[in-house]
Amino acid sequence: MIQVYNLNKSYQKDSSAVRDLTLKVAKGEFVYITGPSGAGKSTLLKLLFAAEKPSRGQILINGQNLTRMNGKKIALMRRRLGVVFQDFKLINSRSVFENVAFPLEIQGKKRYEVSNKVYQVLKLVGLEHKIKRYPLELSGGEQQRIAIARALVIDPLVLIADEPTGNLDPDNTCEVMELFKGANARGTTVLLATHDRDIIRRFPRRVLTLDQGRLVRDLTP
Amino acid sequence: MRRVIYFLLRALRNMRQSPFLCSAAISTVTVALVILAFFALIVINVQQLTRHWSRDVQVVAYFDHPPASPVLDRQLSRIRQYPEVESVAYISPRQAFKRFQVRLGDDADLLQGMANDFLPAALEVRLTEKYRNSAGVQRVVERLRRNKSFADLRYGQEWLERFEAFLGLLRTAGLVLGGFLLFAALFIVSNTIKLTLYARREELEVMALVGGTPAFIKAPFLLEGALQGALGGLFALLTSFLFFSMVLKEDLGRLLLASGLGKISFLPPHWQILIVLLGCLLGLFGSLFSLRKFVRI
Ligand SMILES: Nc1ncnc2c1ncn2[C@@H]1O[C@H](COP(=O)(O)OP(=O)(O)O)[C@@H](O)[C@H]1O
Ligand SMILES: [Mg+2]
Repeated sequence: MIQVYNLNKSYQKDSSAVRDLTLKVAKGEFVYITGPSGAGKSTLLKLLFAAEKPSRGQILINGQNLTRMNGKKIALMRRRLGVVFQDFKLINSRSVFENVAFPLEIQGKKRYEVSNKVYQVLKLVGLEHKIKRYPLELSGGEQQRIAIARALVIDPLVLIADEPTGNLDPDNTCEVMELFKGANARGTTVLLATHDRDIIRRFPRRVLTLDQGRLVRDLTP
Repeated sequence: MRRVIYFLLRALRNMRQSPFLCSAAISTVTVALVILAFFALIVINVQQLTRHWSRDVQVVAYFDHPPASPVLDRQLSRIRQYPEVESVAYISPRQAFKRFQVRLGDDADLLQGMANDFLPAALEVRLTEKYRNSAGVQRVVERLRRNKSFADLRYGQEWLERFEAFLGLLRTAGLVLGGFLLFAALFIVSNTIKLTLYARREELEVMALVGGTPAFIKAPFLLEGALQGALGGLFALLTSFLFFSMVLKEDLGRLLLASGLGKISFLPPHWQILIVLLGCLLGLFGSLFSLRKFVRI
């Protein structure tokens, strides 16, 4: 599903956030990306959904070379990726419904299709009763689940999440992890960046460890 | 079609969400275009006046002595064939004498005792409308000179040249000022739209990240710009029409009427369309420029 070859990314001239990274993730896999702060986890994920351009190397998603795409192609590729951002990136001036419906609206889906799907996904994350609220009226955990709902509403090929449990208490963490596991069970490939060893211990899966931008370990339990 | 309606709704929603910025953009366009419309109005009416005046533009060619009638006929038919010429009339010395008498009116007795053919015979050459300017006069005069049968040529070219220079100046000033105003309006509109983009940067970012194509993201803003611009153009038209009918028609009218123009007119339809179109383009390009700097995807 994802192939990365000799990937390099440097924000500044003399330091690289990601160095010479080569890896493969098969369809349907659940993969953690871990490592200390500043290891390049976020950078790797940003490269995967083309929010950053690689300095060198190739990225193939579903057989398509991301590094050779123009703006429109990138947009079309992103429609098949569900991304959960570290800072949620919800639109505060829009209701929960509108936020979750946003990706479908952009794809030009029909109205009834959108509302059905949004309701379904909100039910999945257990927030269907907050459908008319606004993001700032919700707790951090709830906002996180809305962000996940927005990522899942398009039935993504790949779900990419950057520290999705970073700001959550243990109960919320558990719930969120169940959501990812559920999506993975339904066939979505999951990439999850975290520096939380606890989670990895409790939900063991393949772990890629980064350090100073290099892949230093690739363990499959 | 559904797309277009969707974009339109989004554009309208954007405008509703920031009414202040929206009206700022519209009024900028309005002000710029009102001034432009004004210049156009004045230039067009003065031009009208020139056209009116230049009906009298003619070249008079004097013969040494009255020509024999076959010579005259040959000259007449020859001159009539010039493309610049509308009509040629022969004025015999006697006709000239009568006209002179009429023009002298009460002082006609001055002519007492003069032979009634002491004035030279002449051809009065009227020009077609297209050539009623100094260049046209020049061409005809040159042709008549080459003709060599005339003792003297009279043409009121000097005032024509001056007037044309004045008109040219007015037109240039209008163009320069108009260009400058349009440029300033473009700058202001693009910055106002940049502010609306800034207010919506969150939404724009998310839109790009969940798969909005660049065209899809930009379209509503371009539409918003074009709408605001067109609205500004309409307001400009309305404002200048009101001003025209309340003030200008009276004052400029009195001035121009004194110089013999029948009536002063508002901008002709193609100018009205041009003004609205100009507003529309102004808004469109304004938002295009700000989007190019803002939406980096
Ligand atoms: N936008 C940026 N501009 C400059 N340097 C950056 C930027 N983003 C990340 N970095 C640098 O790249 C390195 C990796 O950062 P990041 O990928 O965020 O690590 P992690 O997510 O593993 O904590 C860090 O040294 C960080 O300072
Ligand atoms: Mg990070």
